Amino acid sequence: MQVSCLVFLPLLTAFLVIMTPRRFSHLIRWISVFGTGLHLVLTIMTSFLFWAEAKGDGELLRTSLVFKLHLVEKISWFDSLGIQYFVGIDGISLAMVVLTSIIIFTGVLASWNVKERAKEFFALLLILVTGVFGVFVSFDLFLFFMFYELAVLPMYLLIGIWGTGPKEYAAMKLTLMLLIGSAFILVGFFALYYGSGFYTFDLIKLATASFPVDFQRWVFPMIFVGFGVIGALYPLHTWSPDGHSSAPTAVSMLHAGVLMKLGGYGALRIAVFLLPEGAKYWGLFFMGLTTINILYGSFGAIWQKDLKYFTAYSSVSHCGFVLFGISALNFMGMKGAVIQMFSHGIMTGLFFGLIGMVYGRTHTRIISEMGGLARVMPWLATCFYIGGLASLGLPGLSGFIAESHVFLGGFFGNAWQSGVLMKIFTLIATLSIVVTAVYVLRGLGRVFQGPIENVEFSNLGDATLSEKLSTGILVAVLIVVGLYPSILIDVIEPAIRPVLNRLGGKI
Amino acid sequence: MLTEIIVLITAFTLMFVDLFLKRETRYFLMSIPLGGLALAFISVFFLSNRKSFGGQFSLENIDLWLKVFFILCAFVIVIASFSFILGESKETCHKKQIYSFEFLTILLFNLSGMLFLVSARDLLTLYVSLELSTLPLFILTAWKRDALSSEAGLKYVVLGALASALLLLGFSIFYGLTGTMDLVLIGRSINVSPLFWFASALVISAIGFKLTLVPFHMWAPDVYQGAPTVVTAYLSVASKGAGLVLMFQIFFRIFDISSFYFAIALLSALTMTLGNVVAIVQENIKRFMCFSAISQAGYLIMGFLGGFNANSQAVPSLVFYLFAYGITNLVVFLVVIWFIDQTGKENIKDFQGLSRTHPLIALSMMIGLFGLAGIPPLSGFIGKFFLFSVAASSGFYWLVAVAAINSVISLYYYLRIVRQMYIEPVLETTTFSMNLSTRCVLGSLVIASVLLGLVPVFYETILWTWKN
Repeated sequence: MQVSCLVFLPLLTAFLVIMTPRRFSHLIRWISVFGTGLHLVLTIMTSFLFWAEAKGDGELLRTSLVFKLHLVEKISWFDSLGIQYFVGIDGISLAMVVLTSIIIFTGVLASWNVKERAKEFFALLLILVTGVFGVFVSFDLFLFFMFYELAVLPMYLLIGIWGTGPKEYAAMKLTLMLLIGSAFILVGFFALYYGSGFYTFDLIKLATASFPVDFQRWVFPMIFVGFGVIGALYPLHTWSPDGHSSAPTAVSMLHAGVLMKLGGYGALRIAVFLLPEGAKYWGLFFMGLTTINILYGSFGAIWQKDLKYFTAYSSVSHCGFVLFGISALNFMGMKGAVIQMFSHGIMTGLFFGLIGMVYGRTHTRIISEMGGLARVMPWLATCFYIGGLASLGLPGLSGFIAESHVFLGGFFGNAWQSGVLMKIFTLIATLSIVVTAVYVLRGLGRVFQGPIENVEFSNLGDATLSEKLSTGILVAVLIVVGLYPSILIDVIEPAIRPVLNRLGGKI
Repeated sequence: MLTEIIVLITAFTLMFVDLFLKRETRYFLMSIPLGGLALAFISVFFLSNRKSFGGQFSLENIDLWLKVFFILCAFVIVIASFSFILGESKETCHKKQIYSFEFLTILLFNLSGMLFLVSARDLLTLYVSLELSTLPLFILTAWKRDALSSEAGLKYVVLGALASALLLLGFSIFYGLTGTMDLVLIGRSINVSPLFWFASALVISAIGFKLTLVPFHMWAPDVYQGAPTVVTAYLSVASKGAGLVLMFQIFFRIFDISSFYFAIALLSALTMTLGNVVAIVQENIKRFMCFSAISQAGYLIMGFLGGFNANSQAVPSLVFYLFAYGITNLVVFLVVIWFIDQTGKENIKDFQGLSRTHPLIALSMMIGLFGLAGIPPLSGFIGKFFLFSVAASSGFYWLVAVAAINSVISLYYYLRIVRQMYIEPVLETTTFSMNLSTRCVLGSLVIASVLLGLVPVFYETILWTWKN
């Protein structure tokens, strides 16, 4: 019940929002905040439940190679096709659900000022987030796919109606590219369904199938690239800068913070987990692509004049780390990838939230038109700096933990791929740390430091209470994970072991 | 045969009662076809597994659902044609239009043809019922009697006659090869020979005409655009269903389906691709819906790729998608019919700002369009998923990829309308009313289109009927 509650609570909230008459716009906001807040509380409770169950297994869990799923709910659905309503939670899901819950709560707080068609906005946002939660907890491929599409589509309207700039173009580009990715995923799923010979979409059951090597070699890239589109894999990332910069604040937060993680999550959970031979065959290739991702994103960010484009490109670079870690195909790399998903989610959420708040005051996002804003909005500036430092991997913040894991993973290599090449890729990728430092410090310096250039900006106010709450939560999470990473790592490790086990690697 | 008799009696009653009623009381006439259809609907469920006329007319497992489909379509269309018949529609108001209840009589005749088509087990019955389900449509298409409508009617007659001649030639070759009219007997005794292939090609092209498969779709755009919108809706749902039934009859009973797999896959890929690509550039909503319907036919025939054995999911998936498509397409068309009735405008641009002036209607339309594009959790998604699964089960992964990418293309143009309704600013703030019966039907269809995808009962029932 617990897990279903997590998935359908946002839908229920959306329903309540739709039922509320338009003129009570305050009530609509309060319902959304209350619903997502309740969700956050529920998520934390679920984490404890998860711990309680996992503790029961004791040491077994630390070393176990079997797939262990908690809080499982299984109801047969379209029985004749082997489709089930099958949800549950393991370590990776838990991390992602917590991330999403935090982001949507802060996102709703950050969009307190949405006045135009507020009812539709919050309803769509909540429907979207239902899809995201659904993806993270479903262990039936059909269910997974259904939620996945549900998470992508509301984006069109959210960007198209409430966006800024070339919003219709960006919305259409984003939707179509993501859905083309999902078309490939769909083909891959059918191949798994029929190729396994089990005629089931049950992920756990499929994981016991032994697919022929040739089969794996053509299905793996289908699924990986399909998820790569949403995970901003190099040549297919082009939707992301346009989409993120045109979207309204909460949507950018959700999209860059959570939706892009669906890519990494799916690639790890489905592509690598079910098709280990395919992963070994293609791993190096994708590692190369993601190296380009990491560098391209960070170099791209240097030249951006618009704060949102700036953050979007840095997102492309950081999401590269996720797929990079996964294609390293070892324990360290995958662990790093999941931590990076979490850390980047919070970080980007924070960035886009802050940009929205700054934009709401200055009405410009062009970096060169701002300057000295730290004097008038110290809270926002501080948060921005903490986020920026996390993104360049300062020890003590979550970004460092994630990136160090990923790079170590790249260096460790694995038994199936050329170690030398992997080391070279990793070396090249580490360059991005320097580049990131350049663009983050330069960009933030121009926006927040120096004298106030525009006189109009000198009487702008600092963050309001809801904004302080929303950014405060995100900064706190960044610091907590940075100082005490085991809180995350302990949860993730047992969930990664089965993946490694299927790959046949040592732990 | 009771169902068909009820439909025919209703048609005749309507025609005769119409003669004796005064102008003012004619409103009452609407209840006759609705009542008749309701009766026919009920009667279907009491008639399963009957054979009459020495097996030439029978009602077996899946036939039941096909008949239900046709009756439901006709029911919705009758309600939707209310304002058109009473002459309140802007579509026809520039002409002096008399109350025209013959419209419904002809529609009912046509419906009976489709019902016969489902049950026909004999070449001749099959042919005659097919004609009965096509000829009345020629008249209905030309009903508006303006330039476009007449042109559409003429085009439809000429090409329809050609297709039916091809079909007849094919049928006579079958008869010549086997010496029997019985479909199942033909299937058993026919040998593969060059003449057989020739006849098959003729028959398939006639099926392609009825089902608007590429390259036999040429008639469709002009006819769909010229016909009264009600008729366009009927053409795109019921007439397409009739084409599917014809295909099912012939492939299930005569042909060995597996030797046609590649041809079907190719036709399917061509149909959906052309339909989708051409739909992108359409400006007229009726023409647009025509190409959308063409591409949907491409998806529909994917269901034939699974073969007909009792354990296969192919035919149930096909029938399920037929329902899902029918319902969602009718949702969209109900809105389009209402819109054209009220404003007389037919362009996609005219839908601008509909979400502000008529939020609920725009929402229904959006749900319908998303259903056609196959977005979860709507029934269109589940239906397509099943069909893709059928194609994948026979190893046609490339077709699944083509179809999935086509779904994305289709989403692009469906989103164009959504964009007009939701994103573009409002130009005209005049609001129009929708009559109660249409509102009820629209509401229930929207709910059905959502529920069919979430509740497995309906699909499982179809599957059960197919297995028994």
